[in-house]
Amino acid sequence: MSEIVDARGLSCPQPVLLVMSKIQKKASGEIEVIVDNEVSRENISRAARAKGWEVREERREGEDRHLILVR
Amino acid sequence: MFWKKLAAMAGNVVGAKHKTDGRSEKGILVFHHTSEVIRAESLLKEAGYTVSVKGPPPDLRTGCDLVIEFPLVSQLKIAELLAGARITPLKILPLQDLLLEPVGLFHTKDFGDYVMVRAANMKITIDKNDLRIVNVSGGGCPDVPFLAESLVGKSLHEAPPPRSIGHTLCGYALQLAYEELLRRCPG
Repeated sequence: MSEIVDARGLSCPQPVLLVMSKIQKKASGEIEVIVDNEVSRENISRAARAKGWEVREERREGEDRHLILVR
Repeated sequence: MFWKKLAAMAGNVVGAKHKTDGRSEKGILVFHHTSEVIRAESLLKEAGYTVSVKGPPPDLRTGCDLVIEFPLVSQLKIAELLAGARITPLKILPLQDLLLEPVGLFHTKDFGDYVMVRAANMKITIDKNDLRIVNVSGGGCPDVPFLAESLVGKSLHEAPPPRSIGHTLCGYALQLAYEELLRRCPG
């Protein structure tokens, strides 16, 4: 079951930092991240990969982007 | 004459010193475009001048977000050096003529375990625990994604200096932010 990080409405770099904090606490598992802009999507994908996590899935729902990160 | 001498003696007794804030010793070079700032800064530093890039004073209107602060005593030689390189400042102003000083370029924000430094339009954020770069963003230059890919995940002290891999104005601004972080987090 995914843990959800809702990073909508936050300004850079807060979305990345929210996800990083979640990643620090989980050695492995699945995290679903919700953002509302492309820059946050890119930054989070990049930061997660740098920590050894994989972006398993990305989908768009209206203005929101959902990313599923797994390790 | 007598009162002047008396005041001087009083100053000596009290130990008062004539204070200067250094403003009258400095001037700023104002340029039309940031690329000229970058070229001028490199040229002047290579020639051995102590110059620093700052934001323009609020009471100065300029087409560029950066000015170069320089020692006024070197104004003539600096002007010659720039002219020789075909770099023409829009204005050369002594700081004492301006109401407000140039502003610092850096904005730092502490996020607990993370710290972000912004210089001009570029931001770099590191994890304070291991000094790893977690985010690079800002600007609109085409090399920003490449800069981010090259830096994110690396330790601040192991990452390539942005200016060595990015050759746009964003790369330059990121270099300034990176250098400020290095000052704050010496290895």
